[in-house]
Amino acid sequence: MESFNIARDCVKRITKEEMIKLAKTSHIAIDLNEIAPVAEQLGEVLSYAIRVQEIAADTVLTLQANTNIFRADIIEQCNPGPLLRQAPERADNFFVVPSIIETV
Amino acid sequence: MKHLAFATIPELVSMIEQKKISIKELHEFFYRRFELLDDQLGCALELFDQSTISSKNPNGPLHGIPGLIKDNILIENRHASCASLILKNFIAPYSATAIEQLQAQGATFIGRANMDEFAMGSSTETSAYKKTKNPWNLACVPGGSSGGSAAAVAAGLVPWALGSDTGGSVRQPAALCGVVGLKPTYGAISRYGLVGYGSSLDQIGIFTRSVYDSALLFSSMAGVDARDSSTLQIASRDYTKQLDGKLSGTITIGIVDNALHAKGIDLDVKNALNEAILQFEKMGAVIKHINLPTMEYSAATYFIISRAEAASNLARFDGIRYGLRDKKAKTLNQLYENSRHEGFGPEVRSRIMIGNYVLSAGHAGEYYDNARKVRQQMRHEFAETFKNIDLLLMPTSPSGAFEFGAYDADKLQMDLQDYFTCIINLVGGPAISLPCGFTKNNLPIGLQLIGNHSGEELLFKTAYAYEQSTEWHLKHPEGY
Repeated sequence: MESFNIARDCVKRITKEEMIKLAKTSHIAIDLNEIAPVAEQLGEVLSYAIRVQEIAADTVLTLQANTNIFRADIIEQCNPGPLLRQAPERADNFFVVPSIIETV
Repeated sequence: MKHLAFATIPELVSMIEQKKISIKELHEFFYRRFELLDDQLGCALELFDQSTISSKNPNGPLHGIPGLIKDNILIENRHASCASLILKNFIAPYSATAIEQLQAQGATFIGRANMDEFAMGSSTETSAYKKTKNPWNLACVPGGSSGGSAAAVAAGLVPWALGSDTGGSVRQPAALCGVVGLKPTYGAISRYGLVGYGSSLDQIGIFTRSVYDSALLFSSMAGVDARDSSTLQIASRDYTKQLDGKLSGTITIGIVDNALHAKGIDLDVKNALNEAILQFEKMGAVIKHINLPTMEYSAATYFIISRAEAASNLARFDGIRYGLRDKKAKTLNQLYENSRHEGFGPEVRSRIMIGNYVLSAGHAGEYYDNARKVRQQMRHEFAETFKNIDLLLMPTSPSGAFEFGAYDADKLQMDLQDYFTCIINLVGGPAISLPCGFTKNNLPIGLQLIGNHSGEELLFKTAYAYEQSTEWHLKHPEGY
């Protein structure tokens, strides 16, 4: 039985480029001095987690029988007030965001 | 008035009915407890203005009984920050179904409980706002992520509290604080209004000082909810009815040997569990020793699935519609990236990135798909095991409460605190942590009773019988 004293010899190495790409995918900024320590921490967890492949090989995933839960398709009035009141920036019933379309 | 601080819910209800105390006086009492003791404990992120809390049902079984609510469960018009800076000023536009159900039974809410940020942690150390201390030893953590809730109940600041359990975040702090912690069957309590972390794993959980109180609160909240299609299609019922202190006929309890004898388990924990097993035998239970081979992979599987789902769930915190926004950002991407870097703590950022990694092309096969396969194996193993046993028993936590900073240099060891609990979230069954002893340093130890899917009735009955045959639930930290 595996104990909590996990083997550390095969720590997965995540490269600097992979870290930058991962941060981008996650939409989280990453400072240059963060890359190495975060990569190391991620590497440790991933090195431990990869053990799932030891017993997964023979299993074929069976799709669970799902039950669809429906509700009546009725349009309900929605009061936008409580939702909009905590918008970081708003104008009327709109959230204000940086422009993504260049205007000529 | 120490007795009032540690009274059970029926005792409080009885005192109110007999007019020995009014609801206003009861609330004053607990508010004063917080004023007196919470500066040193740090359980609450906010105490609601006393004049704004009131029971909505004078005839309800929980009429006027105050509780503390974990900061990731929405109460309409109250702040909900998930102990994160990214939601510092967020005000919930609606209440969680569980909150509405408790209100309908007359319960009141005294404030918001501290937690690990977005429920990610096992010590309540990752909260952006404060640390919560264990009332049994202020140098030690209360566990996590629902540490504020657990500590408040343990210290007699409230008779009950809500938490959430994704990998053990109710059961582990319950064990470390010496109180009862229930994680219901997945789908038993609606997740509508619970901020999502791992949506296939999350459940709202309950902290109390007695099994009866746990069953009472569970009865108030369990049931189908049209707003959460993962809720079980079973009618709500009263789970306190069959609590008589006796075991249900001849029940078979499976002792998970590969948990009890895992390397790294504290000897005090092992001894306490062995004593508990003898107690169950004395009460008439048949004890079977079993192994769950897939448990060896539970933490790894949990890491992958929980972080993958977290990456997805936390994508909504982007600074657009609510929450912290970097107003200096020039582009949309900068807005997302800076807001999330500024708003999320390092543990949350790390888990999101791991989640995206295990889901990404080139890695999903070896991580996420394999984790799903192992999870399927676990479910199969549990289903097979429960053909021959009625309940499982194993430790909740490998040790008593640890000191602050104990795992600063070893985050992976911190994550492994979930080792005995996360498998239950993966398979979806109910589990309850009960106090069963103390370490030689006088820190509480919890045992974990695990039921079959939707097996809360037998779980409560058995837990109650054990509790009533011992005195662990009557112990309280000194000085409170």
